[in-house]
Amino acid sequence: MEFFFQQLTNGLAIGGIYALVALGYTMVYGVLKLINFAHGDLFTLGAYLGFTLLTTFTFQEKIGPLPTIFIFGIIIMGLVGIAGIVLERVAYRPLRSADRLAAVVSALGASIVISNSIMLIYGARFQVYPHDLLPQITLSIFGMKVPFLRIAILFLSIVLMVILYLFIQKTKIGTAIRATAIDHGAARLMGIDVNKIISIVFFIGPALGGAAGFMVGLYYGELNFMMGWVYGLKAFIAAVIGGIGNIPGAMLGGLLLGVIESLGAAYISTAWKDAIAFFVLIIILIVRPTGILGERVADKI
Amino acid sequence: MNKKYVIGMICILFFSTPLFLNPYWVDVLNNIGIYAILALSLNFILGDTGLFHMGHAAFFAIGAYTTAILNTFYHIPIILLIPVSGIAAAIFAYIVARPIIHLRGDYLLIVTIGIVEIVRIALINNVFEITGGSNGIFGISRPNLFGLIIRKPIHFFYYIWIFLGISVILFYRLRHSRFGRALNFIKEDEIAAEGTGVNIVRYKLIAFVIGAFWAGMVGNIYASKMTIISPESFTFWESVVYFCIVILGGSGSIIGVIVGSFLLIGLPELFREFAQARLLIFGLAMIIMMIFRPQGIIPPEPRRYNIKSLIED
Amino acid sequence: MFKKVVGLVVMFSLCLFTLAFAKSTIKIGLMCPQTGNWASEGLEMKRIVTLLAEQINNKGGVLGKKIEIIDEDDGGDPRTAALAANKLVTRGIVAVIGTYGSSVTEATQNIFNENKIIQIANGSTAIRLTEKGYKYFFRTAPRDDQQGKVAAKAIKKFGFKKVAILHDNTTYSKGLAEETKHNLEQMGGFEIVFFDALTPGERDYTTVLTKLKAAKPDVVFFSGYYPEAGILLKQKKEMGWDVPFIGGDATNNPDLVKIAGVEAAKGFYFLSPPVPQDLDTPEAKAFLKAYKEKYNELPGSVWAVLSGDALLAIVKAIEGTKSTDPDKMANFLHYKLKDMPGLTGKISFDEKGDRVGDLYRVYMVDENGNFVIQP
Repeated sequence: MEFFFQQLTNGLAIGGIYALVALGYTMVYGVLKLINFAHGDLFTLGAYLGFTLLTTFTFQEKIGPLPTIFIFGIIIMGLVGIAGIVLERVAYRPLRSADRLAAVVSALGASIVISNSIMLIYGARFQVYPHDLLPQITLSIFGMKVPFLRIAILFLSIVLMVILYLFIQKTKIGTAIRATAIDHGAARLMGIDVNKIISIVFFIGPALGGAAGFMVGLYYGELNFMMGWVYGLKAFIAAVIGGIGNIPGAMLGGLLLGVIESLGAAYISTAWKDAIAFFVLIIILIVRPTGILGERVADKI
Repeated sequence: MNKKYVIGMICILFFSTPLFLNPYWVDVLNNIGIYAILALSLNFILGDTGLFHMGHAAFFAIGAYTTAILNTFYHIPIILLIPVSGIAAAIFAYIVARPIIHLRGDYLLIVTIGIVEIVRIALINNVFEITGGSNGIFGISRPNLFGLIIRKPIHFFYYIWIFLGISVILFYRLRHSRFGRALNFIKEDEIAAEGTGVNIVRYKLIAFVIGAFWAGMVGNIYASKMTIISPESFTFWESVVYFCIVILGGSGSIIGVIVGSFLLIGLPELFREFAQARLLIFGLAMIIMMIFRPQGIIPPEPRRYNIKSLIED
Repeated sequence: MFKKVVGLVVMFSLCLFTLAFAKSTIKIGLMCPQTGNWASEGLEMKRIVTLLAEQINNKGGVLGKKIEIIDEDDGGDPRTAALAANKLVTRGIVAVIGTYGSSVTEATQNIFNENKIIQIANGSTAIRLTEKGYKYFFRTAPRDDQQGKVAAKAIKKFGFKKVAILHDNTTYSKGLAEETKHNLEQMGGFEIVFFDALTPGERDYTTVLTKLKAAKPDVVFFSGYYPEAGILLKQKKEMGWDVPFIGGDATNNPDLVKIAGVEAAKGFYFLSPPVPQDLDTPEAKAFLKAYKEKYNELPGSVWAVLSGDALLAIVKAIEGTKSTDPDKMANFLHYKLKDMPGLTGKISFDEKGDRVGDLYRVYMVDENGNFVIQP
């Protein structure tokens, strides 16, 4: 039984990260019906920016690691958010009126550009975050050893998600986003500046992805320019499982995927872990194509 | 008449190029050829029928591995295995597509990604103990065409490009047949198609199966050309390449797809000098291409119908 | 269209350039991964080989001519490698060094062999590469079966009984894992409690570690690469699990300690041909010094260093036969080259083209993060 719970907690922690990245995918899809394949690379960008910040500015000593991380985190979210806006302007906006598939190809091209740029700037070798920034305490919960940081990551992910959810549901801009997601034309008629809303979405989504990248860098310590690929794909699966276009769905999907992966690896085989995840995805799509929490977009009749 | 003459001249010129080029460039043309046939088979599914499919490498893989396994274990000659590989891939496509064929556009896309990844992982994990794991399978023999063994790049050139020629003719005929018209209808407006009595599930499945059959056959050609195959050649990224060739070339247009192969496969070879920046330039090119010409380089010709003959009583 | 024209013009002029040099240099090809997953290996290979070539040229070259290194990117995948090989074959090279990754190398073997070009692979350890009877193929890298034997012996020496084996499903890693398992089973007296793979490229291996822990092994043998090894060690420590880990030679890389942290890496054992820092031949030391001066860091990968040895062997064969004839060179390398002092030790090849000699040593990471060679 202890084994089961240990694996379960492992899965939840991994799932928290998937969920954060999935949020970016789901928001962009909700508003533009576009699968932003470059999202995983924005996540990588966040991780690398964190690396640069941490190694160039060393005021950890002066104000302590936690405030530094907090400040850097905000900076990174801002920078990656801006990168997201630039990406949208350059690669997607001109294709708004064209065939959907053209935007997909553009997204793939953008993904290649970003990941290779990172490789050219930072080099092909692995980079490592400075150590000992964060306390490495391990807590003991119900007899299982859980590093404090994993709980912190999960907690942070949930907090960010709740903030986002409230933002979307309760604020004016959030409502505008939801309106745009339903129909661009109707939203315009209501006086919503659709371009501005899309830019906002492309700020928030990537910002969250960048934050996730920073957290992954801090926790796991090791970066390489291809890391976004795996996380991007998994997050994408998570978003679909939960219902693409749906924010609580992305979170649920992320956590669920993490747990399924963990338990699948534990009880079936670690080598088949990813195949199991994909298989579950396919089953869910066959049985409940709109995802677990259903997508929030009206279908054309 | 004039147009056919021009096409004919280009073909003759093209088919005589290997006599002047060194084997490296001939091999580049061979690669372009293989990708072109694969893209044509994907074009049938994606361009003609409008099904979002990013898992085409899976069908290619099944064809290649079928050939490899049957050839190395049972020594069945390669040429005989061409249709066998096609059928294997087609059967796989049918089994896999049947439950998912009714999914809406983007969801179908996601599922096809899942399929190609599952196939790849299964190959790496040496499923059923016959796929050789990540080592792959080696020692595949060369095709033996009535005594002529196809071995050098120049042999393969004619082998591949003649196969391509046949494929082009067949796909062209399919496109302009009643079946092709039905597929086009499904692509343009699925609901209206269903409303006029077109059985969309059946036609979509057939499109998948035909596309897969063709990809399976190319798998055979690829296996006999490389003589070793390993799971690395059949990743999701490969599917992405075929996908981009179709869209960049002009989704639905046969000539567009062939030109697309030349660009996407030939250009990176020209840019080998830039080594590391090569892929970066490739990515940029993709974005720029789409922005300036989203319909593809050579979009499909609009269909023409001879109204007079329809009106005549 | 324009791009195509520009590209063609560039290519053409480059061809003319190389033609100009053709008569007065000896061309040696280098096939390495400059893009893709193993770009870092390819980069080091290129650096080492070009530096060595420079040094040789400064001393007067070979047979009075300068060496020219012609490199091509193999992208880390078989298809691109085959194209790279075809390209190199048309450039007038007398021999080629490369590459990293057994299946990548395999895709190019018969292209080079048919064209009678000596190929010396530096990072390909799959056994079957030298079992095909290719006369012109050699390797400076050892084979998986040798390492498997050493791994099993080491495990026995340490006195472990219950062994867990973890690999990452790549050709190299799985091969090594299976060899080790095979050797342990032959020796008898061991219980293999776990044999499975992790997925490389991920960051979170707590699931795998938890499963490993539940199998209660005395030792874990990991045959994968150093990034995953580093993460495994780090996360294992966080879990508070202190069963010893032994790694294969791909875990050998200074970044291992960087990734895992000194605390977690302490006590980790691995097998390896001698690390660059431990190379004790005067040639090696001098070379490393020159490398550090030029690039500001030491080479991290022993596989890249093996490519340097490949170049040295080729040069020796040319000097020894006073020609660049492939058959003479192949003959020389198989039978006449004995104990050539290379960067990684003495180099000789056997009839199959494999490197002769016991290369593998056991290393341990000490409390300062240094790799210490064990007796």
